[in-house]
Amino acid sequence: MKNDSRYKAAAREAAESRFARSVAACLSESAETVAPDVSERLRFAREKSLEIARHSREGALGIGVTASGAAIAGFSQSRWWLRFASVLPLVALVGGLVLIQDWQNRTQISVAAEVDEALLGDDLPINAYRDPGFSEFLKAPPNE
Amino acid sequence: MATDKELSDFLKSVEKRAWKRAVYAVRDDDAALDIVQDTMIRLSEKYADRPAAELPLLFQRILSNATMDWFRRQKVRNQVVRNFSEFEGAAGRDDDFDILETLEALGGPLQSESAAESVSRAQILQTIEAEVALLPARQREAFLLRYWEELDVAETAASMGCSEGSVKTHCSRAVHALAKALKAKGITT
Repeated sequence: MKNDSRYKAAAREAAESRFARSVAACLSESAETVAPDVSERLRFAREKSLEIARHSREGALGIGVTASGAAIAGFSQSRWWLRFASVLPLVALVGGLVLIQDWQNRTQISVAAEVDEALLGDDLPINAYRDPGFSEFLKAPPNE
Repeated sequence: MATDKELSDFLKSVEKRAWKRAVYAVRDDDAALDIVQDTMIRLSEKYADRPAAELPLLFQRILSNATMDWFRRQKVRNQVVRNFSEFEGAAGRDDDFDILETLEALGGPLQSESAAESVSRAQILQTIEAEVALLPARQREAFLLRYWEELDVAETAASMGCSEGSVKTHCSRAVHALAKALKAKGITT
């Protein structure tokens, strides 16, 4: 009984396959007779693709040579280096900005310290600059 | 890595069938040519460095994707989904149809059953093509990949992005639907 159902299933599968291949053969026959303009466009597409494939291979070869050069120079061919190299300019830019900011802060502090030093080291008391009379005296032209 | 000649020979061997497959799917000769060209270019751009043996499967996969992209661009995805539901619904219609009986009764190449003299071979082929084009999208894809492109079940499943069981089901339903439709038109195997 079991063998009988297995046999039927196998026969059905074989019949399906035979039918499908007959249909496929007809489709192949039909596909061989495409219009000339379609054949021409397919040929054009094929030639364009081959050209692209050629460029693609040449490009891959170029990258290979560059990578070999890097290997000779002592660099690894791993992507880690490529990633590091691509981030490097950004790191340099941020570092440069931080250094410039620091240098400007130091310059401002240095200038303020010089002014303070001059004021505090002078014989004239610092409170004199708050006196309106002294301000007028400074504005007035010197008398010979 | 496939050489220029290997790639050229491969493309030459598949281009017409690929165009026909695209025509069955999109029903527009020019759009089908665009799809095949797009497929060839994608293959050459991305997989030119692959061995020649890998090209058939890659090509079929790219062709399926390119066809799907065309449908997306045309904003008729709903139509595709509707075709899928048709295929689900069509399963019940075949229950009372015995393919074994039909197929065992006759053999040899496809021919006209009752009006062989009056119907030309070209018309038969045209009818078969029309019936293949009418199959639901997934059934047609499975049928063509499995029996026309002669991929095995595993390769067809990989190309369609589904399970091997689904491929068998799609193929079986496609065969039944085609046998029934062709028999109704007087064409049998």
